[in-house]
Amino acid sequence: MSKIRILMLIMTLVFIVLASLFLSPKLINPFQMDNVERNILFTIRFPRVIVAFSMGMALGVSGAVLQGILRNPLADPYILGISSGASLSAVAGILSGIYFFGKFTIPLAAFIGASFVSILVGFFGWKRGGLWPERLLLAGVGLSFLFHAILMLLMNISTDEHLGRIMFWIFGDLSAADWSLIPYASVFIISGISISLSRAKALNALILGDELAHSLGFSVHRERLLLFVSISLMTAASVSLGGIIGFIGLLVPHVMRFLIGADNRFLVPASALGGGTLLCMADLIGKSILSPMEIPSGIVAAIIGSPYFLYLLGRRDVLSA
Amino acid sequence: MFSVHKYTILQFDKIGFSYEKDKEFIRELSFTVSDREFIGLLGANGSGKSTILKLASGILNPSIGSIRLWGRPLQSFRHKDRAKLLSYLPQILDMNVPFRVRELVAMGLYPYDIIPKITLSEALEMVGLEGKSDLHIKNLSGGERRRAFIAITLLQGAGLLLLDEPLANLDIKYQVEVIKLLRELREKKNISIIMALHDINMALQFEKVMLIKEGKILGMGNPEIVLSRDLLKEAFDVAIEARGFQTAYEIGNTGLLGE
Repeated sequence: MSKIRILMLIMTLVFIVLASLFLSPKLINPFQMDNVERNILFTIRFPRVIVAFSMGMALGVSGAVLQGILRNPLADPYILGISSGASLSAVAGILSGIYFFGKFTIPLAAFIGASFVSILVGFFGWKRGGLWPERLLLAGVGLSFLFHAILMLLMNISTDEHLGRIMFWIFGDLSAADWSLIPYASVFIISGISISLSRAKALNALILGDELAHSLGFSVHRERLLLFVSISLMTAASVSLGGIIGFIGLLVPHVMRFLIGADNRFLVPASALGGGTLLCMADLIGKSILSPMEIPSGIVAAIIGSPYFLYLLGRRDVLSA
Repeated sequence: MFSVHKYTILQFDKIGFSYEKDKEFIRELSFTVSDREFIGLLGANGSGKSTILKLASGILNPSIGSIRLWGRPLQSFRHKDRAKLLSYLPQILDMNVPFRVRELVAMGLYPYDIIPKITLSEALEMVGLEGKSDLHIKNLSGGERRRAFIAITLLQGAGLLLLDEPLANLDIKYQVEVIKLLRELREKKNISIIMALHDINMALQFEKVMLIKEGKILGMGNPEIVLSRDLLKEAFDVAIEARGFQTAYEIGNTGLLGE
């Protein structure tokens, strides 16, 4: 059953990628391209699909891993305050109007903000030689509120022109995607996913509780630290690529648990695939449906994802959360 | 019994441990566990049963003294290597895990890269869950869930099992069956077991009990001797008597618990 579902997901992905490249918002015939079309295909559409897919993968995997290490079905990569830290830092960048690093400025600001918050959360989550799930969660929630308040304050005093840019960034904006960030972000995303995949057994064991994980031969604190670092890398890279995209990190892992089960050796790659596919789909719909106007992908992802999630929820009597 | 020579599996040598600074919870605790021993660890709430098992499993580190597993300091083992020799089942288990029975039990193989000593289906059969391997843990009854967790430990195949109140929440039928299962396992696989429990009558089923109070051993040995009225009064602060002899022998004679 689950093999068929994965196969269907892969086929959906292939279809969406092809549609994003050649169909929407304007048809490009791959066998008869003029120079302008070739340019659009290779400098705009290709990088945009890659950015959407890698962000989706990063968020899906981070969500699955975080729900595991925090043993909390409501956890997502943003609950640790990473998004609010990144937003604050990016917004400060936008408001300052100083672009030291050209177009890299805002992504870099977001990445630094996200990493800084991860380190801060890790600092508060650390006691007696390791990270503790409840501490991480509470530190993340506490820091989120703080950064969020400062963010609101900044938005309150900013001009309309700035506000527009800020809102677009906060809702997840892929329209500016090009090749320039992909090499840097993919290093972090690929290493994060690799760490998560290689520690999938440890993650399963951690869900049973620290003591049982210890008995099964895992160094509990080491594993949790590794997984926390991998989530931080992936989330920071994803935020710097295209802003904040909710839903995927929280609900894609749940959808995948419904479809293929909770074993992280399968759930982690499936969440990568599911997250990537959903964000590509959201981006395709967001740029086509009201073309030439674009709807931010984060909004579309939540609008198409949530009903599907609720449909699955209604059909299950046992929640594998 | 033919075995002439007994190996020492686990050795506590003047172990000290404290949860709070300057307040020693366990002081100069010494005992050894030999191969094929099945020891009942008995004591009141807060007497140190769980602490002793956590020390023995390496979850807690002693503040003084060294614990040896097969003659080697416990802390010197790599986690994975230790997990092949010793497994620990905590008293408090998160029964709401998201896994199916087979997914959960299969985690017992995590320390191994090679083919296991017993298979997943054998382990499930041992705990009577063979027909339920595809069910979610959340769909099992309390007793079945606990047996699924016991099956992880069985599949892990370690030579020393440290079980913290594995009989809690189990019907008397399964209490008897789990004990019977562990005895069979000991006969077949030569394993040693330390099991914490608080039921004095159940303690009479063991060949050896360790009665503890405030982290100290009050008595260790044959339960009929150790569980005397005086020692029990000291351990539990109330005048009680172990009255399971009759029942124990009856069950024993029917072959349920017999050697």
